[in-house]
This record gives sequence, structure tokens and C-alpha cells, in this order.
Amino acid sequence: MRKRTLQRSLTGFWWLTLFFLYVPLLVVVVFSFNAANSAASFTGVSLRWYRRLLGNEQILSAFANSMILAIVSSIVALVIGCLIGYGMYRHRHRKLGWLIALIYLPIVLPDIVFGISEMAFFVQINRLTGVLGPGLLTMIISHVTFQIPFVALIVYSRFVGLDPTLFEAAKDLYATPWQRARFFMLPTIKPALISAFFLSFTLSIDDFVISFFTAGPESATLPIYIWGAIKKGVSPEINAIATLMIGAVAIAAVLSLMFNRQGRR
Amino acid sequence: MTSSLTAPDTPPTSETVDTDRSEARASRKASTIELKGLKKHFGADTIALDGVDLVIEPGEFFTLLGPSGCGKTTLLRILAGLETPDDGRLVLGGKDITDIPPHRRSVNTVFQSYALFPHLSVRENLAFGLRMRGVAEPERDSRVDEIAAFIQLGSLIDRRVDQLSGGQRQRIALARALVCEPEVLLLDEPLSALDAGLRSQLQVELLRVQQRLGMTFVFVTHDQQEAMVMSDRIAVLDGGIIQQVGPPREVYERPANAFVARFMGHDNLYPIKERNGDRLVTDLGALSCPAQAGGDLLLIRPETLDLIPGEQPGDNRLFATVNECLYRGSHAEYRLDVGTTTMQATVRNRGGSLPTVGDRVTVIVSSDDLVSLNA
Amino acid sequence: MAYSGVLPSARSQAMVAEARHLLMTVAPGAIWIFVFLVLPSFYLMGVAFMTNGTYGLPEMPLSLESFKRLAGFGFLGWSPGNLYTLLRSLWQTVVSTGLVVLIAYPIAYYITTCREKWRPIMLLLVVVPSWTNQVIRTFGWMNLLAPGTPLAELGQLVGLVPENMGLYPSNFAVTLGLVYNFLPFMVLPLYAAFEKLDHAQVQAAQDLYASPVRAFWHAVFPQTLPGLLAGTVLVAIPAFGMYVIPELLGGGKGMMLGNLVANQFSGGSNWPLGAAGAILMLIATFVGLYAMRRIGKRLGGGEEVVI
Repeated sequence: MRKRTLQRSLTGFWWLTLFFLYVPLLVVVVFSFNAANSAASFTGVSLRWYRRLLGNEQILSAFANSMILAIVSSIVALVIGCLIGYGMYRHRHRKLGWLIALIYLPIVLPDIVFGISEMAFFVQINRLTGVLGPGLLTMIISHVTFQIPFVALIVYSRFVGLDPTLFEAAKDLYATPWQRARFFMLPTIKPALISAFFLSFTLSIDDFVISFFTAGPESATLPIYIWGAIKKGVSPEINAIATLMIGAVAIAAVLSLMFNRQGRR
Repeated sequence: MTSSLTAPDTPPTSETVDTDRSEARASRKASTIELKGLKKHFGADTIALDGVDLVIEPGEFFTLLGPSGCGKTTLLRILAGLETPDDGRLVLGGKDITDIPPHRRSVNTVFQSYALFPHLSVRENLAFGLRMRGVAEPERDSRVDEIAAFIQLGSLIDRRVDQLSGGQRQRIALARALVCEPEVLLLDEPLSALDAGLRSQLQVELLRVQQRLGMTFVFVTHDQQEAMVMSDRIAVLDGGIIQQVGPPREVYERPANAFVARFMGHDNLYPIKERNGDRLVTDLGALSCPAQAGGDLLLIRPETLDLIPGEQPGDNRLFATVNECLYRGSHAEYRLDVGTTTMQATVRNRGGSLPTVGDRVTVIVSSDDLVSLNA
Repeated sequence: MAYSGVLPSARSQAMVAEARHLLMTVAPGAIWIFVFLVLPSFYLMGVAFMTNGTYGLPEMPLSLESFKRLAGFGFLGWSPGNLYTLLRSLWQTVVSTGLVVLIAYPIAYYITTCREKWRPIMLLLVVVPSWTNQVIRTFGWMNLLAPGTPLAELGQLVGLVPENMGLYPSNFAVTLGLVYNFLPFMVLPLYAAFEKLDHAQVQAAQDLYASPVRAFWHAVFPQTLPGLLAGTVLVAIPAFGMYVIPELLGGGKGMMLGNLVANQFSGGSNWPLGAAGAILMLIATFVGLYAMRRIGKRLGGGEEVVI
């Protein structure tokens, strides 16, 4: 009997925790459709805040910046991370501790330290040489830096999951090194690459702190815009952008998971 | 699956033409392989091969036999080009290929894990080697169809690899290597992952394929039964050294040393204490053994022995007590106490009575089947 | 060894080719991370030992001035402001990590008691909210805790907040935000630990010890310790350096180390002071990771849970 009460109270606690986890997001989504300009009372369904978004130059440019940043950084990180992932796999019998440490560094570093290091560094470079002023380029560089490890680890784990004799079979069946890359390795890890791309994309869209410190006056992204708007005061307009971002990230994340699972099968 | 055992003998007429073509092509290509003083070591103290010299004839079914770690797989990988020897040369059809990378060697391998590409269909797997060599698509397709018919893949050809059973994968791996028409086909324990029934069925099938194509097969196994069934010649390896090379009967009946004898399943080995002309003295007693030079161990194969009840003296006869009897239907296996030692005997069940445990018996040793060998 | 002195040329050539291959695949990324993260981090550490110049930029000569400032010694003598911030960071980290453990432990256990096919979906449900931008999630809480909302009115009713005020900005709101933010980080490693639980041992303990509490304490808890440890590091390290949540939910009196550091790099700035704060965070990070590695090795299996 006692066991059943325990199980029942755990079930209750589970639903309560889920409620706790989702209620802040739900509030944002629901109030983005609020007709009234209030965070306290819902007066009716309206798309007025979404319409307001479309007319807001700053938001549109922030949206464009977010997309450029996410897509460009993900592509660069994909190429570099894929190479490292393969290198780590191919040379996994060597002592690569230094490389592992280097790859984990962007993951373990607190993002505030990450952000200000980049900022201080770029400002100093800019003062000395005149290049790398704060803007999209510095943001792309920083984003690529924290995306590389995730791509590398996904690609590496995909390779580790393969039968190692496949590489030998490709050699044995007359594939030159380039043919092995083109006809064996790339098609085999394709799902992992797609998954890694969407993960990088999500990480980039999600990032605020590192973007905030490396951004220039012209390169505000959506999270930076939202931050600025919040600092000025809560407005239902923010709910509308936030809802769109929640939707976009959810889709990208689900795609990433789907392709990752497909690759494992 | 069961029909495939008999099917290769009676294929439809259109396929007969195809198989004839590939037979002609393959036999044209078979070449001699010469291994000259091959050495290979891993790290500082693991010696995989310690000077291997060998000539494998064209069209031969040649088996590398030995326990795990004996160097047989390393040798196969050197033939494939997947490993580079530290020393020695490898010559194929008169051409030194020691430093030729695997993708430029006319040698193909059937891997133990089959190594079928998971991202490709069966057909694409079969066509992979031809595609890499730049064979045009129409020819590629016709050659894939030809081999698929020959190996009887039938409806498997359009499946995905992950939908196949172990036996099917094995046949596709074989077809994928054969379609490239290599000068030598290497097989790395290709049947070891299969259960016993399927295994013996595929042994027969593999042997037929080899005989029809006349291709040189180099086969690696640790199973001496399998080696004897399949091979024209067997090389027994241990410690990176070839212990003996010869046809199955020779290796089994006249093992060159104690290792080969034990590996081929012989237990009746007795140190020779004394030689008086052609009489050899061991723990069993004295046995006459004509025309045996040298050697310090005496091998008596269990199946050459005859048992008769009671003690009936005579030349080359031993008296023994039955210690253990394993009845196997077609034959029975005995462990006998002879003097201070024991010996194994295998007796065919011809009907009539068989000795039982505790019986006193006379063992008739045929002196022609005695072998003395080096430890 | 007989051959070790003589390497045949084919072999050494192959080794050179292998080394070149390693370089070609790994170098672009390794150089990227080195140039754009390792060098900047070292530069930042260097900045901490420089003097604060005009416009807040670092200048020579080298000094320990910024560390003194961090400890509270300014032009006007010692003030406890920075020390309070440090202590608050520590306190918030401890409290929120503790609360996260209290929530995550039963949740992780509950998931393992459910049917196998539901478990991945349940884990996903826990993780999904953390995929959204931190700013947006925190903004969601601002909506919920704003004046006039049901939660704020409840707070007024029990006397937590004065009339017509919201539940934020406050230290309470920061704790709430931290717990919300880091809960999934604790559930995942704990779940992994619970899933590996040796049930035979639990059964034996239930036979051996009369009370379920003692059975839990002796059989279950030690087995989940590696997961708990991994989760603690995953929560405590980033919580200690948190910037967004205290900035939005904490206000002036809820400031944490992250805000102190960040403020030195934006607005009225003092880079060396900020860099000194960052060094403190780095030390906390590496001490945490090192401690986890050590304890994880002793307990066994601690590390794999993290990865």
C-alpha cells in the first residue's frame, strides 16, 4: 500500500514539475496573442503584436542578422568540426589528450568568461591592426568557436559507431582516398552532418551572452534586441518575437534529433 | 536457401552462358602469389610474422590455418595491402606488389564482418568496386546481374543491407568481391559468424564457386575441419612461422611437428625414449615402426587403432583397460589406460559388440600409420 | 628488438603520411579554438594584472590593483559591496543547486519507474524548455512574477512582497530562475545513474534493513552518487557565473559575480577588475571539474555520466 501512495505522489510531482517547466513559455506564447497591452490580464485573441513586428525595421534587421549569423557560422563549424571529428576517429589510437582538452574548453568555459575574452581580444586586435571591429564577423568567429566541439563530437561518435572494416572494404574495392571520402565516408555520416548542422543552428540562435559581448552597433541579433527591449520595459511585442523564436528553435531541435536517430539506426 | 545447395548444377540455360563467360575471364586472370621472407611486428614485442616464404599456385584453394594470434590474419592483410610488411617481398603474377596500395591491387577480400556498406542497397554494394574503377554503368549493371545470378541472390538484389540475415550478407560479401574478378580472392574467416548448419552448407557452396571460376582463393580459418574440407593445400601457422604446408591429408596424417599434430586434433603423442633399429620405445611399450627416420615423438592416430576383447598377444599389440567410452552412433571414442599412460582410440560401429568401461582389451597398432615427429 | 633500429623506408613514409593526415584534419579546428579562445583567455588573464586606464581599458604597468578592488578596497577605503556580490553568488549557487537536487532526484527516479517506451519522451519533455533562448525563458518568468499577476498577488497575500509590487526584482526571483534554468542539467545525469541501479542490491537492502529510509540510504543513494556529482558540477559551475538571470530578475540588490564582471566591460568600465572576476570564475570552474574527476574516479563511472 505504501508503495502505491509513493508512486501516486511521484506522479503528481511529475506533472507539477512539467507545469513549472512549461508555464513560463506558455505565458509568453499565450500573451503574444493578447489583445490588451498587459501581462496580467488576457482580454481577447489578436494578432496585433505580430503585425507590429512586421513594421519594425530593427526587428527585421535583427532577424536577418540572427539568420546570417546562424547559417554562416553553422556551415563553417560543420566543415571544421567534421574534419576534427574524422581526425579524432582516424587517430584515436594516438594520445590525443591535448586535442580533447582543447575541444572541451569551449563547452566548459562559463559563457560570460567566453564572451568577455573574445570581446577584449577583438578590441585589442582592432586597436592594433584596424581589422575585426565588432560586428557580424566577430560574432561569426565566436559562434564557430563554440559550435566546433559539438559538430566534432557528433561526427566522431558516428564514426565510432561504424564497423572499422568498412574503411578497409572501401580501400579493398579500389576506392582512392578521394573516392573513399566522396562515396563512402560522406554518404555514411550524412545524417550526422545534418543533425550537427541543426544543432549548431540552434546553439547559435539560442546564444545571448557571447553574441552580446561580440556584437557591434549594427549587428544586433533577435536575442540582443529582445534584451534591449526588456531593459526598456516589458512589452507584448516581445512575446510575439519570443513565440516565433520558440517555434523556430523547437523545429530545428526536432530536426536535429530526427537525423541523429536516423544515423544511429 | 536449401535449394541453393543443388541449384548451381542445374541453372537455367541463359545463365549457363553467363557463368561460362565469367569462368573464362577468371581463369585467364589467376596468377601465382609468391611470399618472400615476409616479416611483420606490432609494437616492440609482438611478432605477427617472422619470415614467411610461400608460393600459392594459380587456381588453388589455399588455406591459412592456425590459432588466434598465429599471424594468419596479418598475412592475409598483407596480401590485401591493408598492412605493410616490415621486411620481405610480395609478388603477384611476377609483379612486385609489396608497396602497391590496396586500391590498386587486383586482390579482393571477403571480410569476417562482411563490411557491407550500410548506406547502399545490395545492388550498389555489388557495384561499388566496379564503380570505383570507372567501369561504365551498362557494363557495371550487366556484370552485377551476372554475378547475382551466379551466386543466386535472386530477389535480395534490391534489398537494403540491414534487412539481410547473416548467411545472406555472407553471400553478398562474396559476390561483391567476385564481381571485381580479382587475380586472388582473400577470405578472412568468412563463415565464423554463422551457425553450424548454414556454415557447412556455405562451405560446399564456396568450394563450388571456386572450382567453377578457377580463381585463386586464400582462405583464413582457425577451424581445422573446415580447412580440410575446403582446401587444396593448407599452411599451418604458429608464432608467425609456417609450421607445415601441404594437402589436407598430408597435414593431418603426417604432421610435421607436435604443434601441427595437436592443432589437427591429435592427442596420442608419446615421447620416444629409445630407438632399437625400427623398434621405438615409449611409455606404451615397444612398437615396431619401419622407415621412420628421426623425430622424438610418436604419433598414433586414434582412428587407425583396432580393439579386440581380452588379452591376445602379438606383434604391435598393446593391452589396455577401457577407462571411458563416448558412444557417437557411427563410431565410439575410447580412452584407454595403457601401462602408466593413456591413449585415445576411435572405433567404427560396424554392428556387433563394442567394449565397455572396465573391459580389458587388446589394441592393434598398424605400424604403417605410426608417425614419428619432432616436438 | 632485432628490427627496432632499422625502419624500412616504406614504413617511415607511411608514418609521415599518417602524421600529415592528422595535421590536415585536426589543425584547422585546433588552430581556430587556440587562436579564438585560448589566446583570448590568456589575454584576459593578463588584463587582470594590468592597471585600469582611461576609458576603462587596461594599461601598463602591471599591478595587483584589480584584485584589491575585487576584494573591496577602493579610493574611498574598503567597502563591502563586491564581497556581498561574491557571497551572494556563492549563496545563490548553493541554494539553487540544493533545490535542483531536491526536485530532480524524485523526477529522475520517477522516470525510471515508468514504462521503457515512455522514458525517452519524458526526458525530452524535461529538456525541451532549455532549448529556448535563456533571455526568453527569463522573460517568461518576468511575465509571471510581474505586479498584478496571480503569483505576485499570492506573494502579497503571504506578505512576501509589499502592496502593488511584483515578485521581481528580488533574490527569490533569481533563485527561482536559476532552479528553472538548471533543472534539466541535473535530471539527465541522475536519470542515467538510476537507470544503472543494481536492483538486486536494493532488494537485498530491503531485506537487511527494517526501514525503507535506511534501505534507501544504504543501497540506493551511494549508487546514484556519481550522477548526483556530475549534475552538481553541471549546475553549480554555470550558476556561479550566471549573468542573464540576476540581471533581469535580480536588480541592483540581486547582483551576482557574472554581473559584476560583465558591467566592467560595458558602460562605466574597468577591464582589469572584470578580468580579475573572470579569473575567479575560471578557478571555480577548473576546481569543480578537477574535483569531479577525482571523486568520479574514486566512485567509478562518474565521468561517463557527464559525457
